[in-house]
Amino acid sequence: MNEDIHARAERLILKNHVEGIRPQEREWLDRHLEACSDCDRLASATERTLRSFCTVSVPVPPSLASRAQLRMYLRMEELQTRERGGWIFWISCALSWVLGIASAPYVWRGFEWAGRHIGVPDVVWEMGFGLWWALPALVATGILLIEKLGNGPQETR
Amino acid sequence: MAADDTKALARALRRRDPEVLDRLIEQYQYRLFRYLLYISGDRETAEDLFQETWIRVLDRGRQYDSKSRFETWLFAIARHLVIDLQRRKKPQSLDALIYPGQESAIDLTAKNSPSALDLITNRELEMSIQESLGRLPAIHREVLVLRFQEDMALEEIATLLGAPVSTVKSRLYRGLEGLRDLLERGKA
Repeated sequence: MNEDIHARAERLILKNHVEGIRPQEREWLDRHLEACSDCDRLASATERTLRSFCTVSVPVPPSLASRAQLRMYLRMEELQTRERGGWIFWISCALSWVLGIASAPYVWRGFEWAGRHIGVPDVVWEMGFGLWWALPALVATGILLIEKLGNGPQETR
Repeated sequence: MAADDTKALARALRRRDPEVLDRLIEQYQYRLFRYLLYISGDRETAEDLFQETWIRVLDRGRQYDSKSRFETWLFAIARHLVIDLQRRKKPQSLDALIYPGQESAIDLTAKNSPSALDLITNRELEMSIQESLGRLPAIHREVLVLRFQEDMALEEIATLLGAPVSTVKSRLYRGLEGLRDLLERGKA
């Protein structure tokens, strides 16, 4: 028997356990193992290895689950508190935007008057008005970004 | 777990149902702990990461879309935590996890084992497996536990690892071959 045959047998022994082998391959392997004691020993050793590996039991610390459950309850409370805070934040944002829309014409006139009174170019007080208008959105975006970064990368599934 | 079950589970995770979460912790405590122990190689680390994993499950329950099995998603979270930990320990290289060259036995035994008889009868086998596993790279230990102890399909393992099936197979071949050689050498 040449080296290639033994190499094929060795490959099939592993393949049998890893992904399974086709009936023709099994037939060939069985015949080979009957004839070759070295490969047969290898097949038995592989079987033994897997049996040993699968029979090893890992003792679990007695309070492992209860500790995890306790930590999870604490985390749940924390998340609930945070979510309540989140609602207050969004309600404040909504109110601020409603007020912003309602007061925009008056604030525009206020900026216009102040700009003319101080004597700055129109573009300056217009930009000031734009900033005032965008400020709540900018703050909200900043807070959201900070929260997102704090949560870390997301699991894909 | 049937498709309906995973959908119900996804809904329960979204609303952070404490009863369902309690049940999941009980149900998966052994398998998750074993997986963490095999890939981290250390009992204390595995215990800490076990807690962290469930916190993540709670935090990110909304991301479970019920398309994959729950355990695949759970193990993926655990795996990310181990990788994050390794990065923090050795920020220069993620390869530390992949090819750690640990060269020491994995402590599979409990600190206070309830049964002395179990310890005696399994001692030799456990010692031998611990030593052999400790010499295998973590990525090989990982696929071995997923394939032969968790009985996961190759495609599922590939999804969990975010690697092609061919990579999973190649790690399994090498892992199994390595473990066999180490165990047989130990006997000789």
